[in-house]
Parts: sequence; C-alpha cells; structure tokens
Amino acid sequence: MARGPADPEVKAKVLEYLGKVQKAKSRDVAVAIGATKSDVDNAVKELTAEDLVEYLYITTTFICLKGKVQTPS
Amino acid sequence: MTEKKTPLLDELEKGKWPSFVTEIKRAAVKSEAAGELLQVLERSYNERRGHWKHGGIVGVRGYGGGVIGRYVDEPQTYPNVAEFHTIRLLQPSGWFYNTKALRTICDIWEKHGSGLTNMHGSTGDIILLGCKTEHIQPIFDEFSEAGFDLGGSGSCLRTPNCCVGPGRCEHACYDTLEACYNITNEFMDELHRPMWPYKSKIKFSGCANDCTSSIARSDCSVIGTWRDTLRIDQDAVKEYVAKKFDIQEMVCDKCPTRCLTFNASTQELSVVGEDCTRCMHCINMMPKAIRAGKEKGATILIGGKSTIVQSAFMSWVIVPFMKMETEDDFEPFKDLMRRIWEWWDENGKSRERIGETIYRLGMTKFLQGIDVPPVPQMVFRPRANPYVFWNQDDLDRSGTALDGSKL
Repeated sequence: MARGPADPEVKAKVLEYLGKVQKAKSRDVAVAIGATKSDVDNAVKELTAEDLVEYLYITTTFICLKGKVQTPS
Repeated sequence: MTEKKTPLLDELEKGKWPSFVTEIKRAAVKSEAAGELLQVLERSYNERRGHWKHGGIVGVRGYGGGVIGRYVDEPQTYPNVAEFHTIRLLQPSGWFYNTKALRTICDIWEKHGSGLTNMHGSTGDIILLGCKTEHIQPIFDEFSEAGFDLGGSGSCLRTPNCCVGPGRCEHACYDTLEACYNITNEFMDELHRPMWPYKSKIKFSGCANDCTSSIARSDCSVIGTWRDTLRIDQDAVKEYVAKKFDIQEMVCDKCPTRCLTFNASTQELSVVGEDCTRCMHCINMMPKAIRAGKEKGATILIGGKSTIVQSAFMSWVIVPFMKMETEDDFEPFKDLMRRIWEWWDENGKSRERIGETIYRLGMTKFLQGIDVPPVPQMVFRPRANPYVFWNQDDLDRSGTALDGSKL
C-alpha cells in the first residue's frame, strides 16, 4: 500500500525550516520539526513536485528551497 | 601509443579460462584509456597498493546515484585515466538482451567512454568502466533516449536483481522476472535518491537453489518455495532405480530432515511433508521424479550482507510464505518493504545495514516495528535460538509468567 498524501502541517513546517537554513538532510529536518523522517520524506516528495523544494546530491541527499543553493557545476 | 611491458598482468592471460587482461589489451588498440589502465594495474601489482581514489561529486541532473567517481592518484602520469568514472545501468530482468540492445549499449559507450564493460556487476547492473566527467551527462542522455536508466549507488536501494526464473528454469516457484521488473519500477524513487543509513539490496531467486546468492548477498531475499508437499512420480522413481541410481544414499541419506523414505522392495519413495524444509536437494538429484508442490510462492528473508560493521550475515526468515503469482500479490511485499525501510531509516546508524541494525536492537523490536508477528519459522532451532521473546502484554494475556506460575 503506497503512502497517502503528505500532512499539510508537516509540509508547512518543512518549508519554514528550510527558509532558515541553506540546505539540510531530511533526517535533520525531521528532528528539528518534531516529525518522523518518513513523514518528512513524503512531504518533501510533494514539495518537489510543487517546485518549492529541490534535492541536492552531495555524496548524500540534501534538500533545500528551490534555487536557494547553487548546484556545483 | 607506445606499448609498455606488463609482465605480471601477462601471467593472468595464461590458462584455459577467459582473461580480463586479454580483453583490456584488445580494448587498448582503440582506447588510450584502456592502455593506461593496464599500466596503473601493473604498477599496483608491483607496488602492492592501489592507485585509485573513490567517490567525489559526479552525477547527472536529477539523480543521486548511478555514477561512481573514480580518479587516479597521479593524473600527470596517467592523463587518460585521470578521471575514470563508473556508470551503472539497470539491467533487464534475467539479463535477457537481443543483439540490437547490446550493440546500442556498446556503441554509446565506445563513443563516450573507454569501451570497457563489466557484464554484470555483483548487484547485477550493466557496469560501464571509465569515462571523463564531461561525458557523464551526454552518456546518460543517450542511454535514456535508448530506453535505459541508471542503476543504484550510494545509500539507496541498489538495483534489484533476479535469477533467470521461468525464462529458462523449471524449478522457479514464481515469476522472478516479473517480480523484479514490477518491484524495481515501484521503487524508482528509493533507487535514484540515496537517503538511507546505507545501501539496501533485494534479490529474487525462484527456488532454494538461490542462483542469485540472495541469502548471503542481499538485505532482502525473496526465495521461491511451496506451501504443500513434494510431488513424486513413482513410475519415474522406478526408472531411476532401473538406471542403478542409489536413491537411499544419494537422496534419502542426504535429506537434511530425513523426511524422505525409500522402500527398496516396492521401489517407492515417500515424503513426510511436515518435515520437509524445501531445500531442493531431492529435486536437484531426481528432477524427473520429484517436483515442487502445487501451491507456490516465496519466503521473505531479511538481513544478509557482507562484512562491514559486523561480520558477514546470512539473511533469516521473516515471512515464511507469500503468494507471488499476480501483480496484486506483489502489493503485500511492497508494503512490507516500506515498513522495513521506514523502521531502519528511523533506527539505523550511518553505514549500518539493516541486518546490523536488527542485530544491535534485537529481532523483537524489529518485528514490533514492522508489525509482523513472530512465527516458528523465524527460529533456527526450537528453544536454541530465541530471537523472539515474550512481551509483558503477551504474558498478561496468557495468564502465565515466564517461570510457569499463574499471574
């Protein structure tokens, strides 16, 4: 059974937290906003589809607000 | 290019078996990178140390894995292999290709890379060895256009792999090819986006012969089995006897649970189904007389891995039997995998495989975390290997304490 839609409250908290930092791992976001990592992952998946957040791959996966961090060329 | 001597590598060309040195030398006729690769390797053999640096930030847009950075530590000496990155491509289930597909792979790779391939890597991917950073995106774009996708690398789901299954093997208890294809497509996000504590592998074997070595090499093994009893064709048994095949010694005496009995006077073979562990030994020895049961599916095992934080682990049973016949049957497996990964993601330390997390925290917590009830098949031997302990809740419900007294 696939995961259902993300919790709007978690999505809002993720956006708020990412507004305060350059980039973060989803685990760190989860700890900071008091949610589970899977809920954050689910929220981030939707936020990337909405073009508000993007993934950064720097040896592991970071997330940041869309366009906030310049990807290394 | 001036040909340089490689006496140590030349030793590896001797013998009747294929030699990777011979193949790299053939590639070196067209590729300077392949020639320099031989020089680096010969030097490593002389000095007994490697000259490769692993990692770095290389990749393609939108993907977190699939490309592994490789750099030589003396780029000025070996300029053609200064950047020698590896690309992993998702293989087709069972490694079935037509010649057109193989030609497409090789043509794109010779155009942009060293021309060297490894068909296939230990996870099963098509491995393309050696390209420069500037070629990575064009290579991906062309492979993508041709219908291929990148495999897994880093802390993500690695490319799932399966045995040849019903494509060529009568022992397959489920369609490993379809299961692998379907489940790979389901977990594309997990495959291309490394965000777990470490890597996670799934391997699908059609029977307990385990041709993918899933029990030792994958975090999740899906091994074909059957729920009912072996089917024995007594006429075929008699044919084995007529050919002087020693059924007692070769089959019954080697059955791990001694569940088979051969009656020499009637020349009949019988089985105690409850004792059979579905090990496949008798079927392998007498394939014309013994077949798997009719009710087929798969056993799901967890935790296999090579030595990293802990020593090497074999995976162990968490679901003794799961139907794997139709697409709908895959859903419970997908749901189980999501729960397993979620638990591991929450509880695992960095670079800790799931088997190691279970070892550290205990099977009981794991089973509670993924909401799977303990069953006898999880235990190696009754009362000898108590992975699963009673909870206080269970004891309260039963009304009996551990020492046998009434609560």
